[in-house]
Amino acid sequence: MTGRWHFRDHQAERRLFNRRVVLASSVVFLLLAALVGRLVNLQVVQYEYFSARSDGNRLHVQYVPPQRGVIYDRSGTLLADNLPVYNLTIVPEEVNDLAATLDYLSDLVELGENDIETFENQLRRGRVPYSSVPLRYVLTEDEKYRVAVNSHRLPGVSMEPQLMRHYPFDSLTAHSVGYVSHINQQELDALDETEFENYGGTTHIGKTGVERTYEHLLHGRVGYETVEKNNRGRVMRVLESTEAVAGNDIALHLDHRLQMATEAALGNYRGAVVAIEPETGGILAMVSKPGFDPNLFVTGISGRDYGVLVTDEVNTPLFDRSVNPYPPGSTVKPFLGLAGLHLGFVDYEFTIDDPGYFQLPGVSYRWNNYTMRTAIGGGHGITDLRRAIYQSSDTFFYDLGHRMGIDAMHDFMSLFGFGGNLALDIGYARTGVLPSRDWKMETRGEPWFPGDTINSSIGQGYMWATPLQLATAATLIANEGRMVRPRMLKSVNGEPYLFEEEFAAADVVLEDADYWRYMRDAMTMVVHRPYSNIFRDYGTAYEAIARADPDMTYQIAGKTGTAQVVGISQNIRSSAEIRVSEQNKDHALFIAFAPAGHPLIDPRIALAVFVENGEHGSTVAGPVAKRITDAWLLDILQLDLTVEPEPEPAPLRGPLPREPSEVAALDG
Amino acid sequence: MDNQEFSRISGVPPARPVVRRLRRLAAVKIDFHLLVLVLSLCLYGLAALYSASDGDNGLVRRQAFIVGLGGVAMLAVAQVDMRLIRRATFYVYLGGLALLGLVLWAGVEANGARSWLDLPGLPSFQPSELMKIIVPATLAWYLSERPFPPRLWQIIVACLLVLVPTALVVLQNDLGTALLVAMAGFFVLLLAGMSLKLIAAGGLLALLASPLWYIFFALEHQRNRILSFINPYTDPAGAGYNIIQSQIAIGSGGVYGKGFGEGDQSRLDFIPESNTDFIFAVIAEEFGLAGALVLIGLYVLLLARGLLIAVNARNMFARLLAGGIVLIVFFNVYVNMAMVVGLLPVIGLPLPLISRGGTAIIALFVGFGLLMSIDAHSRGSPSPRN
Repeated sequence: MTGRWHFRDHQAERRLFNRRVVLASSVVFLLLAALVGRLVNLQVVQYEYFSARSDGNRLHVQYVPPQRGVIYDRSGTLLADNLPVYNLTIVPEEVNDLAATLDYLSDLVELGENDIETFENQLRRGRVPYSSVPLRYVLTEDEKYRVAVNSHRLPGVSMEPQLMRHYPFDSLTAHSVGYVSHINQQELDALDETEFENYGGTTHIGKTGVERTYEHLLHGRVGYETVEKNNRGRVMRVLESTEAVAGNDIALHLDHRLQMATEAALGNYRGAVVAIEPETGGILAMVSKPGFDPNLFVTGISGRDYGVLVTDEVNTPLFDRSVNPYPPGSTVKPFLGLAGLHLGFVDYEFTIDDPGYFQLPGVSYRWNNYTMRTAIGGGHGITDLRRAIYQSSDTFFYDLGHRMGIDAMHDFMSLFGFGGNLALDIGYARTGVLPSRDWKMETRGEPWFPGDTINSSIGQGYMWATPLQLATAATLIANEGRMVRPRMLKSVNGEPYLFEEEFAAADVVLEDADYWRYMRDAMTMVVHRPYSNIFRDYGTAYEAIARADPDMTYQIAGKTGTAQVVGISQNIRSSAEIRVSEQNKDHALFIAFAPAGHPLIDPRIALAVFVENGEHGSTVAGPVAKRITDAWLLDILQLDLTVEPEPEPAPLRGPLPREPSEVAALDG
Repeated sequence: MDNQEFSRISGVPPARPVVRRLRRLAAVKIDFHLLVLVLSLCLYGLAALYSASDGDNGLVRRQAFIVGLGGVAMLAVAQVDMRLIRRATFYVYLGGLALLGLVLWAGVEANGARSWLDLPGLPSFQPSELMKIIVPATLAWYLSERPFPPRLWQIIVACLLVLVPTALVVLQNDLGTALLVAMAGFFVLLLAGMSLKLIAAGGLLALLASPLWYIFFALEHQRNRILSFINPYTDPAGAGYNIIQSQIAIGSGGVYGKGFGEGDQSRLDFIPESNTDFIFAVIAEEFGLAGALVLIGLYVLLLARGLLIAVNARNMFARLLAGGIVLIVFFNVYVNMAMVVGLLPVIGLPLPLISRGGTAIIALFVGFGLLMSIDAHSRGSPSPRN
């Protein structure tokens, strides 16, 4: 092998090799020129562009949602607060395989179908690119740990701390305080440009009740921060920030103790109660039963849970009975009575002889008194306005209504808020129906018939009112016409809140201010006029309230009402004769204020009780009202209402009581 | 090599064992130019790795250990005599092929390539990396035995010598390394004086064949790499992501860079594979154009030093070996950089001496050791036949 070397031209070989080295070096030089040229192009020529791209990669301006203001009741107890929780969120743009990620996450945390469904719904709706979308709310400690440990396998997934709305009293405030829930597209569309910006980082918005009404006070102002994110979307540091301004803390007139007492007072009945402080118009309690847990809506209620709530056609827990109208029945009688006095259709002396029914002149049809459906039948006999109130004579009001006419009735009743909404901050309340000729023509396309007026006179027919309206009207009697419009909001950040509309409200002024006292006394007799030897001369609620509690230290002025749900043929004498399904049973109503006629203490509470299918205003709705006034006056305000010098019920003035002989004649 | 042979070749009279030992100790063969360049690159690499790994000390320490190990290997190889190397080459080649075969049979997969060998008692390593040095050595051995310029049939044999290991590496699904192995063979042929017409014809053939490859043989991810090379923005979050992000990193580095550890793109993990294939983007971002040029300059000096050693080498084997090694190293450097800046499609190749690596770095050091040995050989007393 070495032998061959002798024949080789080593110089030629070396020259050839060297030429090839020169060739290679030249190619290397050209390649290097291209490389350096490219580098210069990237780093010098396009520097600005790539610098901006680099900043665009890592710098993100993100919204800092403001902390929502909390809601207190009048005693300073939290009705709505914010709890710190950790939510699992995903930035979809930074996830390689969303389905696989979701699948993997389902091993780490509990993911219901609902979570994924809500998540996908949010993906579909318009959103800011590279913004995180919540997948699961309120992670447990174990779940937080498992996600943290596996975070390297979960690009785009993070755990974000959030203050989550929480309603400590659950269903107690479900309707009145309402709830927040995810903003939907319609709500976003409804925001103007600045408000839209302000909601940039906000996930929840007030949907119902106070949360919705005072959204503008509670929400606060959005903040901004420039953050640096890594390629997985994780925030590495905050570079600059503009603080968010927290929403206002507000206090309501609501009292959670009275609210609880009210809910308890309603027992297992469906129904609603609105209680108002006559001095301020502040709503002390506003209950609609059954309720629901508003916290479910904060985290996004599952389809199944929601289905349970909406398909319950009997209980309709989502339906706020306190602001929805029902036939008010006999509870309208005090207002019609005042109308009669004010407009001169009746006076203290006026009486009718009540045979138990009413007939229009020349018409054979009879509008029966409710007494006709009792076993005894008949009417009240000679009846004046006061007796017509405490015995709830339908015939008296048929006659009064007929003589007054629908126009006068409509105009007077509207002063008390019927057919409208006097509440300052319950805009979502329905207005019910205070019928008039125009209303009927507009909605039914029919003229007003005299018979319509008769029905309206006892709060039936076309007349519909909400528990809120009834409580408002009762407040006006308690205040003797002084107008204080009902309101929820008491103070903002500790400062008493003044409503601008307040000064526009007009008092109800009667021809004679004594009519107020007269009506108060008549209503007091509804509760306190005891049994006597006179036929049908006791208060309709005496048995259920005053007699049931002989130690009662104060007086309640009230009015019972039993509203027919379905028309019952006037020929049927007893309601027991017909089989009435649960939902067709009469509604029981009661309006009241207390203490009534106290020499030193003005009424502290006015309320309306509505018991759905409760059948009897006196025996069902009345005791509910009594329990509520007891709770407020005795347990919560702890007033000493005992009136020492006068052991008897409030002194009655005016022409009653009649001579016993006269009354006795009525019994026949 | 025995004492007699040494004496005959070097012209040095046979020495007594003790004296010989002393002389060898005094005459440790080191090329200080090469040593300084290699160590500078390694230090640069450790710094870049520190930054790219976000201060992962364990990673940097491991790399430093491997560099130290490689340095020892380099110095050891440098001491071996050229002739011994030449004679051993073919057996090493056969050993290398055996290892590649073993990989196919019992290899371990990592990052899509089944190129790792995890033998009991040994740290896992990649035989394919060693072939980058063994293949040029084998060709140098084969061609230097025969007249120059090589004839066609010799070229064909040489091509077979290259193709066998290349094919084995392709079977491992490691196309980057396969390309290097093939190119290492080509560089030796080029330096050996293979006809330029033939090279041009081969190049033309490859050019014509590439569309066929693209249509019939290219795998999906390979096609994506080609497509995203042409326009990365067709799939900016997928196939084009790497190249877009590395270009943003490089471009935003500007002339002087964002500073050590301040590279936003690398710090926030926007640069993919920042420890390995895309580490040049980290350097260009943090040290800017200036830092990139310094790095390129070091590689150019390394190339120049290597070529100088080759040109000065005593015989054709040494020349081809030195030239082949230094050109394949530079080719590797260039392909990596060109890929990172977007001049070439993404090919999975690390940046020599900078990227995190094990076998690759050891193989490189062995290559530099060979260069040192050649250098020492050519500086020794002139060959009797020269």
